[in-house]
Amino acid sequence: MNDLPGAESLLPLPTATFHILVALADRDRHGYSILQDVAARTDGKVRLSAATLYSSIRRMLEQDLITELRDSPDPDSQDERRRYYRLTEFGRRVALAEAQRLTAMLSQARATGLIPKKL
Amino acid sequence: MLPVRLFETLLWCFPSPFRHEYGEEMVSAFAQELQEAHGKTATAAIWLRSVAGVLRHAPQEHYHVIKQDVRYALRTLLAQPGFTAVAVLSLALGIGANVAIYSLVDSVLLRMLPVRNPSALIMLTNPAASGSGTGASAGERDLLTYEEFLQLRDQTKVFAGLMASQSAATRLQVRVNGAEPEQVRQRLVSAEYFDTLGVPALLGRTFGPPDGPKPAFAVVSHGFWQRRLGGRPDALGATIALRLDTFTVVGVMPPTFFGETVGDQPDVWLPLSMQPVVLPGRDWLHDNPASLQKTMWLHVFGRLKPGISTSAAQSAANVVFQQGLSAYYATAPNEEVRRKFLNQRLRARPAANGASGLREDFGQPLNLMLAAAALVLLIACANLGNLMLARATARTREIAVRQALGARRGDLIRQWLTESFLISFAGGVLGLAVAWVLRAGLLMLVSDTIRLPQAMDLGGLAFAFALTVVTGLLLGLLPSLRTWKVDSTAGLKEQGRGLTASAAWLRAGKLVVAGQVALSLPLLIGAGLLVRTLDNLQRVDLGYAKEKLLILRVDVESAGYEEPRRQALFERLHARVLSTAGVQSASYSPHGLFLGGDSGDQIQVEGYTPRGDDDRGSNYDPIGPGYFSNLGIPVRLGREITERDRPNSPRVCVINEAFAKQFFAGRNPLGRHITQIYGNQRNTYEVVGVVANSRRNALRDEIEHRFFIPTAQPVDVPRRISFAVRTAGDPTLAIPALRRAILAEDPNLPIAAAQPLTELVEERTVQDRLLARLSLGFGAVALLLAAIGLYGVLSYGVARRTSEIGIRKALGAANGAIIAMILRESSWLLAGGLAAGALLAFASLRWIESRLFGLSPTDPLAFAAAALVLALVALAAAWIPARRASRVDPLVAIRNE
Repeated sequence: MNDLPGAESLLPLPTATFHILVALADRDRHGYSILQDVAARTDGKVRLSAATLYSSIRRMLEQDLITELRDSPDPDSQDERRRYYRLTEFGRRVALAEAQRLTAMLSQARATGLIPKKL
Repeated sequence: MLPVRLFETLLWCFPSPFRHEYGEEMVSAFAQELQEAHGKTATAAIWLRSVAGVLRHAPQEHYHVIKQDVRYALRTLLAQPGFTAVAVLSLALGIGANVAIYSLVDSVLLRMLPVRNPSALIMLTNPAASGSGTGASAGERDLLTYEEFLQLRDQTKVFAGLMASQSAATRLQVRVNGAEPEQVRQRLVSAEYFDTLGVPALLGRTFGPPDGPKPAFAVVSHGFWQRRLGGRPDALGATIALRLDTFTVVGVMPPTFFGETVGDQPDVWLPLSMQPVVLPGRDWLHDNPASLQKTMWLHVFGRLKPGISTSAAQSAANVVFQQGLSAYYATAPNEEVRRKFLNQRLRARPAANGASGLREDFGQPLNLMLAAAALVLLIACANLGNLMLARATARTREIAVRQALGARRGDLIRQWLTESFLISFAGGVLGLAVAWVLRAGLLMLVSDTIRLPQAMDLGGLAFAFALTVVTGLLLGLLPSLRTWKVDSTAGLKEQGRGLTASAAWLRAGKLVVAGQVALSLPLLIGAGLLVRTLDNLQRVDLGYAKEKLLILRVDVESAGYEEPRRQALFERLHARVLSTAGVQSASYSPHGLFLGGDSGDQIQVEGYTPRGDDDRGSNYDPIGPGYFSNLGIPVRLGREITERDRPNSPRVCVINEAFAKQFFAGRNPLGRHITQIYGNQRNTYEVVGVVANSRRNALRDEIEHRFFIPTAQPVDVPRRISFAVRTAGDPTLAIPALRRAILAEDPNLPIAAAQPLTELVEERTVQDRLLARLSLGFGAVALLLAAIGLYGVLSYGVARRTSEIGIRKALGAANGAIIAMILRESSWLLAGGLAAGALLAFASLRWIESRLFGLSPTDPLAFAAAALVLALVALAAAWIPARRASRVDPLVAIRNE
């Protein structure tokens, strides 16, 4: 896709998409590793199914949020079936925009006293 | 690993592109998850999550794939606007023609009456009969009398309801709520009518037994309520004044209800027992045993009780009917007459789709047109299939490239199907528009005689949808089969110079085109035959000039003139008509010309011995003075009827040449006597003249023998009179003055018809015009489609052979030789197609023989003309690619090698 839509146009992101972006923030991962990372970071509260994961990946690839790597970043890996995914620059921007959106919502809720200042 | 297998199976819920792309990864992730799960709860959670995820995301992925396919197909189709337009348009014409004709077939032939449980309805009368008949009837009875209906209603026990209705709706001049006089269509129906049909009123009530013996009530149609009573609920209680009587509107029927007769939409239903008020001057409610002559005028419908079969109902009804006949004819003068009258019976037939004379008149033409429309659609589909195949062949390289890039066959086939579905969908939508216009046009063409709903119903839409889906599938499958065979490496090699695959297609394409020509030829020949039939009918010699002749009918009976006063009234009206400005001459007769009525009786001719039962009777016309000189029918022998023939002068008659030939072969008829027998009555007339044959109702049949008697010396006094008025100029211009002249005599005289004869004659050719125009239209569409098909195949052939043509030219072939080469090829196609088409036409066109007039179905002129037109159009279509071939630049062509 040449003409990327603005980051804003993709917001709000589906929860699964945001989790995948976050999982790919620090390093490239294959699918199962993303599932594990999401589960670990949320203490097992969020567990994506394989269908959710790959349906999201298919869409995120089309939206240019992530790219698929040609070669495995892990040269020791014997498993050729595994495909690795990397966050794109655009994906990073979108994740940031989503985080800002969430922060803004949180501070609005705090300002009205709906939730305590420190949670 | 059973769980993994299970999960793999589950993945079949996803569309194949997604499954192929991610299936393996998903299975591996799932397997790994299962491996690392501890305990049954964790395993169950994984399963639950996975199944839920599949169920949630599979529909999304399908939607995504379809969206992509549609987008890609749209892009491809829009990139080739010529192909797309031709494909969509030809399909639209094919589908439109079929839906329009089918919707008419459905309305006239198939549709069930919009009443409760129509399949429980039976008819005891002939659905195709209408009007009224007096006299005797032998064998199966067409219509019933009111008393016969009452006997059946009161004495049979097989019907849950039995009702009678006037078999022909009539027009009445009425005043609605005291407004100016206007015409309404009305039908007299028995009190049980609406209950038997099982249709309640939308507003108010229908008729019922409690209405009493003189129920001056009216039920109106939804259309009349909307149009004339403003669609207001307070329309109940509105008054409809008919002469001196006033009917009160008590009910409005629902919009879908038109009664029991297809093609007829009465505005008003009135109670049958009010016949003496509605159709005054005659008593049709009582049979008169003294005369033996019954007036049969009713259709009788019954609703079968549950568990009673049609044949059981028929037997039960016939028992009652026979008892009635035996009692009625007990006083017959002799045993022979009695036996003849008792030889009558009823036939019960399923009446779920009601009564209709249309079915007899239009059943065959409609089925013929449906066949023609189907043929057009077939040709259109062949064309499209051809185009799609040509396109598939042209795209061999694209397919090969896509396959090499990893596209699977399934994906490509899905892509083709999407494209052909889009084309057929667009064709279907456009086809519906075509159908709507065509149906409206056809209904307009027959609106004088038939009233059918304007709108198409869901059946028509469903039919269109079915056609669309079927054509879409068929067309999509063709290139799919082609795709199946593409070997990606061979496809990549096949470049500008086509090899085996495209050559094979070209052969198939040529066959298809020859087939199209073969199918188009019978359509064109049929169109030619029907157009010439119409022309022949329009040129039929009536025996007098039909131009500048106005037919004006006055209903003297309903204006309240008793029989003894009528002859004097006719003469006064005649005088008034003659003195009207613009009138050159005028004469009159009760039946008029081309208005449909006729009289016929048994006769005895002096000196003639009948050979069988067929030549004991003749039709006759009572006529006014100067009838033949007014029309311009030559008197061959003797004299015509004149003012001298008074009621008290000797009874005379004039015969036509057919009568003279039949009954007086070789003898001089003048001075001989004809005795007309009517019940116990005998009237003897002396022949005083012989006139040339002329036509008075039918255009097609042979002119029948006929005699003419003075209205002053009638067999029975006419109820109405029709003037044939010769005008100096356009006859329609004389109508207002003539109307004034008639009303000056008596403002209550209803003018039932005022039309130029040319229009009345045209109405006789309504079906022929319909058939001629439609078949011409279908023929033209078929021709166009065949031309497009030929053009497509030849263009492709030329493009494929560009280099060959270039080499030929480089070797010295002249442009003319190249053109001749291409045209020669198409000539072979054409000749083959025409030969097959001619055989097809010989085999099939006898189906339309009964519709033809003045020519045979193998009319050489029609065959030659159709073949010539087809050949010219085909050669024109071939000329364009041929010329393109002749312009091939040898250098460019060879460089492409």
